[in-house]
Amino acid sequence: MSVLLAVVVGLLMGAVFGVALEKSRVFEPGMIIGQFQFRNFIMLKIFLTAVTTGLVVLAALDGLGLIRLAPKATLFAADVGGGLLLGAGIALAGACPGTVAAQIGAGYRDALGTLAGGIAGAGLFMYLQPVLEPLILSGGPGKLRVDVALGAPYWAVALAFAALWMAILVVLERWRPWRTDLGADHDGIGVPPLGRRPDLPAGRATPAE
Amino acid sequence: MPYGLRDKAWSPYAAGVLIGLLQIPAFLLINTALGASSSYVTVAAHLASLADPAVGGIRYAAQHMEGAKNWWQVAMVAGIALGAFASSRLSGTRRRGFSPIWTRVAGVRSLGGRVLMGTAGGFVMLLGARIADGCTSGHGISGLAQLSVGSFIAVGAMFAGGILAAALMKRI
Repeated sequence: MSVLLAVVVGLLMGAVFGVALEKSRVFEPGMIIGQFQFRNFIMLKIFLTAVTTGLVVLAALDGLGLIRLAPKATLFAADVGGGLLLGAGIALAGACPGTVAAQIGAGYRDALGTLAGGIAGAGLFMYLQPVLEPLILSGGPGKLRVDVALGAPYWAVALAFAALWMAILVVLERWRPWRTDLGADHDGIGVPPLGRRPDLPAGRATPAE
Repeated sequence: MPYGLRDKAWSPYAAGVLIGLLQIPAFLLINTALGASSSYVTVAAHLASLADPAVGGIRYAAQHMEGAKNWWQVAMVAGIALGAFASSRLSGTRRRGFSPIWTRVAGVRSLGGRVLMGTAGGFVMLLGARIADGCTSGHGISGLAQLSVGSFIAVGAMFAGGILAAALMKRI
């Protein structure tokens, strides 16, 4: 595919992605911090739903022989260390690398700083990569997959995981309906904390207090 | 269709399915999985090349500078901003300044202070994402969907890092 066509496809896919991120409110820093402080579960719900949809879609496409899966190599130290830094950065930024763009689009000015910091962080890694490669970015078991480790077909294990995530989502939604987590201004702020009756108006103390 | 572009909020399930379906054009047209963080390397490498012409000599940088896959991802991240702009305009939920959450959990009261915090956060976030070779999209949405063992580890570490950092902030 030509670069120009790939850019058009990217812009169209991104527009859909951006609408989904904005409408679901997961681009709000209040949702991200709320998830990490176990006050708000919209981020986890979107995440697991997207994973589940991907599992079903890829089970079909791979089962039909239309695609080749492209998993990342397993590198234990890099996955753990990088993942920890990534998570801490997400909490400080109130965004992940994709939702930064949604914040900019929705009008948050601080997200321009997050974007600049992100480009600088990627730039530093680019210069460090040749040094880090022999230390933590090589070796390991390669592109390890759960289905391959189990010796089972991808589609079967993918559908089993899809069922597992869906069951978790059903329980999560019954325990904590998503509308409860939106907050008064759709930014995840003023959500009643866990254990408090979700039918009380957001941000108001319980009558007992 | 139960949801429209003028609605202020969609269910996380509608949004999640829509995002998951984007794997179809990603795999069939671009021959890759959904991801976002390597586009930062593409932009960083081109910006660095303005001051440091030798950057193309770094194999990792060179791998991210050219080709349809790299520019597709840069365009997709730009498209996210366009989609969110249109969506927030249509529903009347435009944002200004920074989210009030930062005053509540971190005592940040000025835009300048918040920009500093966000810049630091973005820096750590992308450094971590590139060390782990993926972010919430690449390791999270795409890695877990491909049953990649490394992605299960990276996603667990990502949530752990986020929970630890958020535990240092004030609870509201």
